[in-house]
Amino acid sequence: MTPLARFYVAATKSSPAIDFDPASNSMSMRGESYPENCSRFYEPVFQWLRHYLAYTGTQPMLLDLEIIYFNSSSSKTFMDLFDLLDAAAETGKPVTVRWHYHPENETAFECGEEFQEDVRHMTFELVPKTV
Amino acid sequence: MLSFYETMNREGVVLYFNGPISQSVVEGIGDMMRRKMAFEENGMQLAQKVFSVLVEQMQNVICYARESCTATECIGVGQIMVGRSGEQFYVACGNPVSRKREQRIRERIDTVNGMSREELKAYYKEQRRKGPDEDSCGAGLGFIEMARKASRPLQYRFDPIDDTTSFFAVKVHI
Repeated sequence: MTPLARFYVAATKSSPAIDFDPASNSMSMRGESYPENCSRFYEPVFQWLRHYLAYTGTQPMLLDLEIIYFNSSSSKTFMDLFDLLDAAAETGKPVTVRWHYHPENETAFECGEEFQEDVRHMTFELVPKTV
Repeated sequence: MLSFYETMNREGVVLYFNGPISQSVVEGIGDMMRRKMAFEENGMQLAQKVFSVLVEQMQNVICYARESCTATECIGVGQIMVGRSGEQFYVACGNPVSRKREQRIRERIDTVNGMSREELKAYYKEQRRKGPDEDSCGAGLGFIEMARKASRPLQYRFDPIDDTTSFFAVKVHI
């Protein structure tokens, strides 16, 4: 399998900046998430990750998420994403997801908590943003 | 126009839009409404809830028009309204939908209207894992999301336009 290139997508008004760096095993998505067609927008992310997971085996990975707002379709997509990572964690890959939220944004905190309740094998941290 | 403007002001309407709705309209109106609420210091919680319901409703309008989408663009037609009375906000939307959809939309809204906070949370998580049914827009979670942000049951009605189309209106009190 060929080595993976860094995966980068610039933010738009309704979709996050995405930066997945296979050299450091650190990934991030930051911004808004309510694209017109959620599954179409995130499909390349899933493709890249599936490839990455197969390629890197049990190297630890970190995903930082700082999503200001996400719509209900994105919520479903994120759950699918966490399920994929959780399955990798179950087979021995140390996966950490850090859910960053603004301390005044109760909704963002609660959403993070609800994802945290629904994963079992990876580390899912809720990180208040320092302002 | 002036009498229309005055009526809207008197009724506490903060935002009113009638016409074609595409993703760029969702982004523009949503963002502007969020800025306005932040400017008026309504609190992040309230601003996020109004923004959230507004986006779900406008994206539903786009989605109800999906039979007539091109490969790259989808444009719905409808009305969007945000209003306030005192500290209370509501977000409402009205648009034509195919009469074939009416029954399924009724069932969805009636289901969430009958649920407590805890039941809504459990139902949301269950549906999120399950995925949408055939007739859903997006992930099929929009009305559950709206109900979770609402302070009262969702109000809705259908009025027949012709044999194949109804006018669907829904109002969410935040």
